[in-house]
Amino acid sequence: MVFLAVMPFSAAFFNYLVPLMIGARDVAFPRLNALSFWIFLAGALFLNASFLVGAPPDAGWFGYANLTSRRFSPGSSIDFWALSLQVLGASSLMAAVNFIVTILNLRAPGMTLMRMPVFVWMTLVVQFLILLAFPPITVGLIFLTFDRFFGTHFYDVAAGGDLHLWQHLFWIFGHPEVYILILPALGIVSEVLPTFARKPLFGAPVVIYSGVLIGFFGFGVWSHHMFAVGMGPVADAAFSIGTMLIAIPTGVKIFNWLATLWGGAIRGTTAMHYAIGLIAMFTVGGLSGVMHASPPIDLQQTDTYFVVAHFHYVLIGGSIFGLFSGAYYWWPKMTGRLLDERLGKLGFWVLFAGFNLTFFPQHYLGAIGMPRRIYTYQRGMGWDFWNLVSTIGAFGIGVGVLIFLINAIKTIRSGRVAPADPWDGRTLEWRTSSPPPPHNFDHIPPVYSRDTFWREKHGDSRGRKPAPVVRGEAHGIHMPAPSFWPIVTAFGIALGAVGAITHVAVAIAGLGLAFVGLWAIALEHHRNPAHVDQTGTLGLDQRKLAMWVFLGSECFFFGTLIATYLAYRGRSLVGPYPDDVFSIFITTVSSFDLLMSSLLMVLALAAVQRGDRFQSRLWLFGTAFFGLVFLGFQVYEFAMFVHEGLTLQTNLFGSTFFVATGFHGAHVALGVAMLLTLWILDLRGKLDARDAIKVEMVGLYWHFVDVVWIVIFTVVYLIP
Amino acid sequence: MSDSHGAHDAAAAHAAHAPDHATVGTYVKVAIILAVVTALEVGVVYVRALAPIIVPLLLGMAAAKFALVAMFFMHLRYDHKMLTTVFVGPLLLATALGVALMTLAGAFLVFGR
Repeated sequence: MVFLAVMPFSAAFFNYLVPLMIGARDVAFPRLNALSFWIFLAGALFLNASFLVGAPPDAGWFGYANLTSRRFSPGSSIDFWALSLQVLGASSLMAAVNFIVTILNLRAPGMTLMRMPVFVWMTLVVQFLILLAFPPITVGLIFLTFDRFFGTHFYDVAAGGDLHLWQHLFWIFGHPEVYILILPALGIVSEVLPTFARKPLFGAPVVIYSGVLIGFFGFGVWSHHMFAVGMGPVADAAFSIGTMLIAIPTGVKIFNWLATLWGGAIRGTTAMHYAIGLIAMFTVGGLSGVMHASPPIDLQQTDTYFVVAHFHYVLIGGSIFGLFSGAYYWWPKMTGRLLDERLGKLGFWVLFAGFNLTFFPQHYLGAIGMPRRIYTYQRGMGWDFWNLVSTIGAFGIGVGVLIFLINAIKTIRSGRVAPADPWDGRTLEWRTSSPPPPHNFDHIPPVYSRDTFWREKHGDSRGRKPAPVVRGEAHGIHMPAPSFWPIVTAFGIALGAVGAITHVAVAIAGLGLAFVGLWAIALEHHRNPAHVDQTGTLGLDQRKLAMWVFLGSECFFFGTLIATYLAYRGRSLVGPYPDDVFSIFITTVSSFDLLMSSLLMVLALAAVQRGDRFQSRLWLFGTAFFGLVFLGFQVYEFAMFVHEGLTLQTNLFGSTFFVATGFHGAHVALGVAMLLTLWILDLRGKLDARDAIKVEMVGLYWHFVDVVWIVIFTVVYLIP
Repeated sequence: MSDSHGAHDAAAAHAAHAPDHATVGTYVKVAIILAVVTALEVGVVYVRALAPIIVPLLLGMAAAKFALVAMFFMHLRYDHKMLTTVFVGPLLLATALGVALMTLAGAFLVFGR
């Protein structure tokens, strides 16, 4: 439900609406978007394939260690789960980079950040949450996969490991994930309410700041999911205060929505029903959430049905109601047909009643002690009646969703044709036809203020309308060319995952195919003149901005690896220990080599920028060569450690050291491959000053690998 | 031929609009500083008198090297502020989360674990 339903439904809204709402023709990287979709599909099919082979994941959505260890889950069910989450995560990260660049750099002229619709703002916040929250779970899953496949000790208590490490890594991701699920719905409601109240959103900047604060605070409260593990009073107090703080921006949003409705000319459309339903139901879920923020109360409620009731009020009463509101609101824009309003309202009331019948009694069931994750229980516990009510309610939810599906099919067959602006909307998507043309707008609309389209139609409070814009013919619109490489790459990744649980040769073949696909995507438009200038609203090249955004995510990836190494430092129960194997001299030489490769990289970029072909070839090859030398040192060091008895399986030090430095080495190897590709292009006369941005991007990646090593060299090798 | 002309035009256009980037001389100076600081890092490890402050000292030198590479080799000093925002923001947040994670995992013995 989390990964394969609510997230992709929200992503559908992002894909369809964000370019329209900011006045763009498409996302910044359409082929990356295609790659993201195909990888998502591959991950989803791989996860569902586990049911076909009789090995569905069975350790809960949080897969707590050590339930997931080989000892307690010996089959392939956890492998399906861990590998598919990695594949789905890769898809989400690509989409996050794409949307962040799109929103920051592809806005219509005049659309400042504070003039963006709130839905676009919430999308931006969500993409940053994905960008930064996914790397910790990626690392956690890498540890789990290494424990299961290679016998490392990350979650092995007998070797000094700490089971809480998984819980921390999971919830550093898991709590922001809650906001990844709910913030899009809050954004949708912030668009629906002003349209159907015929009033501007009350305190729109405050609603935006509240969303940003919710996202930011979301990173500092993960351990409230872990009060029951016994972290101690200081940690409990800190996370309790942080959790209670989140109620403030959330409450601000609710009061702003109510103030938007106050005095408005309200139209009771189906979309409005769902939006108002969200305000009520999300408030109930929010209030029970504040109860969990208190550790003593949380201890009573942990693992009971009270928690189930709470998060369903947030995720169904919040997310799903918001998504239904958006579906009814934007359906005419997407399909050119209006959904049946009578069926829509019937569906809403059935769903609303069914939802409350299902989940409200679970508050009581939890309070009287019914535990979660049981499907049967003994008579006489006092739980029978309310479970019966819950079951009846669940059928109501099913009927409510069915009514929506019937409505959708009926509309596709014989729905009323929708005009471009059926609701008298306020934002730019209502300015173009329903459905929009493939290029969204013949002319990119200028933006004068928040709700520009409304002002164009109705004027401001004094009735003044913006001056009409004189337009020429629409021509020269660049549309992205189709490509089959995203499908090939996604297939390769899926094959790699299949190989991981079947045969290593299949895994190698799959990853090789994915590598070829990625290289083809990178190079297939290398000489396309339409791709040379990709400067956006900020005056920045899209690709450069994308690389920096990606490096922000990499900070979290390496930060988690290094923090784990340090957290486990000195906890190995058997040797060899760091002092037994480290050779500072060798590592100093290799560090110096990598630092100097960064100098060669900037010299290569400068040479490409001024069109000096001799020097560009020299320095590009030099950088790659220095990278290879660094890798040679690393191979030598690893071989030396293995010779001295330190392997991945030896102790915690071996596990954390080899994984942290090994993943850094893998990044260096990828950088060398990119550098050699540029060098070969240069040798073939296919790299000139127009391609300087590509060299700069590879350079940024290379320097980042360098700065990561600066940190590793200090905290792993030098600090005693 | 037209490709070659295009390349020269693009190079000229780049030169005309290039922001105030570092020169090759600046790059070399930064590289020399990086090499010297690396040598100092290794050297101070063996100075017994510095033992009480060795950890903050080493972390400070690593941070200085990190900043030099980011500011000059990655051009953050000369580029659009948005790039600094999207990188330094996550970097600081990742550092804070890393410290919190280590603290909760008992690395600093703050909570008596």
